[in-house]
Amino acid sequence: MPSPPLTDRRLVVVLGKGGVGKTTVAAALALGLADRGHRTLLIEVAAETRTAAVFGTAPPVDAPVEARPGLFALSVDAERAMQEYLSIQLKVRPLVEMMSRSRAFHQVTQAAPGLAELVTLGKIWDLATAVRDGRPVWDRLVVDAPATGHGLALLQAAASMRDLAGSGPISDQADAIERVVRHPAATGVVVVAIPEELAVTEATEAVTLMRGHGLPVACAVANAVRTSPFGPGDADALRQVRADPAAGSAERAAAGAALATVDGAAHDAREVRALGDGCALPVAVLPVVADLAPGSGGIEQLSAALMTDPALGGAGAA
Amino acid sequence: MAMLRGRRVVVVAGAGGVGKTTVSAALALGLAAAGARVAVVTIDPARRLATALGIPGLGDEPHRVDPSVVEAAGMRMTGTLDALQLDPRATFDRLIAREAPDDAARDRIVRNRIYRHLSGAAGAQEFMAVERLHELVDSGAYDVVVLDTPPARNALDFLDAPERMTRFVEGRGLRLLLGPRAGAGRTGWRALQAGGHMVMSVVERLTGAQLLTDISEFLQSFDGMYQGFSDRAAAVHDLLASDSTRFVVVTGPRPEPASEAVALWRRLADERYPLGAVVVNRVHREPGVTGTPDGLAGLLRRAGAPDPEGLASRAAAALEGARARAAADAHEVGTLSRALSGPPLAVVPSLAEDPVEVAGLAQVTRALGGGARDPGGSAGAAPPPDQARRQTT
Repeated sequence: MPSPPLTDRRLVVVLGKGGVGKTTVAAALALGLADRGHRTLLIEVAAETRTAAVFGTAPPVDAPVEARPGLFALSVDAERAMQEYLSIQLKVRPLVEMMSRSRAFHQVTQAAPGLAELVTLGKIWDLATAVRDGRPVWDRLVVDAPATGHGLALLQAAASMRDLAGSGPISDQADAIERVVRHPAATGVVVVAIPEELAVTEATEAVTLMRGHGLPVACAVANAVRTSPFGPGDADALRQVRADPAAGSAERAAAGAALATVDGAAHDAREVRALGDGCALPVAVLPVVADLAPGSGGIEQLSAALMTDPALGGAGAA
Repeated sequence: MAMLRGRRVVVVAGAGGVGKTTVSAALALGLAAAGARVAVVTIDPARRLATALGIPGLGDEPHRVDPSVVEAAGMRMTGTLDALQLDPRATFDRLIAREAPDDAARDRIVRNRIYRHLSGAAGAQEFMAVERLHELVDSGAYDVVVLDTPPARNALDFLDAPERMTRFVEGRGLRLLLGPRAGAGRTGWRALQAGGHMVMSVVERLTGAQLLTDISEFLQSFDGMYQGFSDRAAAVHDLLASDSTRFVVVTGPRPEPASEAVALWRRLADERYPLGAVVVNRVHREPGVTGTPDGLAGLLRRAGAPDPEGLASRAAAALEGARARAAADAHEVGTLSRALSGPPLAVVPSLAEDPVEVAGLAQVTRALGGGARDPGGSAGAAPPPDQARRQTT
């Protein structure tokens, strides 16, 4: 069964090693979806508020903050989500307060491995299924997941909890969430890497793990890929100048700088291929953007590059 | 590098993506070259690093690096270097085996569903990194252990990990609530029973009874092991806080990791951990020439370039770009240096590729002030300095 394009899936989870630019890629994707007219929510987890820096808005802690027309950001934190969950489940205010204050209750939540992740995932699910006036509140949700290991734990939270809690409302809810998270028509996981060995290896291993768990991996994104403005015939002439003792020092340095650009681009192209081969996924390629400060146009440039990349079309998706 | 000589533990910390693993390996190489018996514990699956070091792969057990591989890269090797990769589950299983009073108790824990989830959970990595460090130091087989710390949102989570784990195993409040099920029917629990019972019945309604039974069994099976965990947490803390240890904070010349490095450094200082140095990794070097390459088009024409004018202007732009990056990095290093006001700052130049061969690693080692040249050995081919690194936010 062919999977729909990533841009047609309601829930997109962006995953990758620390420092590869997950936040940037998630923001670029959310911006692109909003530009296409989808009411989009960009979700950060574990009390991160880094998208505020990308869009130059206030940290979206209490409620979604509109960062651009149709694009909202929200930071989801497990503690707060747990309180919300309790008030919905228990419906009795004093009981909720007693539970929230109970040290023992906090110990239970710590003792049940993955409960924080489950509550976070549950909150995301709530947002994804929220309906107002007969219509979904959000057309698209993009999750900026924590670094690989913790991100995988988040995606696996529902399955873990269903295994641990054999019965009861939590188990039923975990089951319902897991069905959505695993459904390739509803959910797509995007794995981000930079063209460096460690990031590519980690992405490859994460994709293998996710496939093993039946999670719908849609595509990979290679971020900050260097390109070269020099053609194949240029390098020979540049090398001659660099090695020419009669040439001026500035001329040799310029030739050297140009050749380093050629080498850098070749290196990155090799790593992009390794990423695609290792993950068996289409790879969207994003360029190096010098300035990502709000108002610099950097995030808009990345968004345009990402949204027009054929890798987002869903071909070859798991 | 000199400040690390004679230490038993070097902890390498920093934000994700700054090259902690490379710096850890380079420091370990330098210490081994200087004569120490060194173990480096990496967290990431750095396969090419393993290949470069001439070992079949990084696993839970230490692999000895063949000194001839290092000497071929032009560095004299007078000590030994072992490399291993953290396997949280294997480390946890060994810890349980050591602390459990008997085999039956060990099996009870290892089979428990809560334990199986816990030992594989992402958070277990921080605790197990510290535990593995303790094992290696205790083994007496090494003069110094270099620990590459796990990526975490808070890069110092691992410092609190042993204590968090001890508190969890102790599970005092939880035992009271679970009552007789968790074998806590001793003094004091009656007073809490009424409120506790209510909380637990709510939890049970949500999770089903099975989960609570599993947690009870899990805590019960740790009975008698609490003291062992607690002693170990205290020992690890003492070791990390002692003069035998040095913390090295790695960062890159960009605002985000740099501000994380400053926060990390200050927290270490506040909590009186022994500080070593801050390493700024992948700093672009100034091309080192002034002036504009006005004669380049002519030279390129003579070299047979198809479009010498166009090529010359693109090459001139590449040189300008390299200068701009070097200036931006120098500015960032200056900002960092002022923000930290004091600690030694080591700058590692950006290489064309992340060092995945010993020659490249040896370059990083030398940038950090280690590794005497081997007069007999031939210098390995070193990657050229990089001209364009990438942004990562």
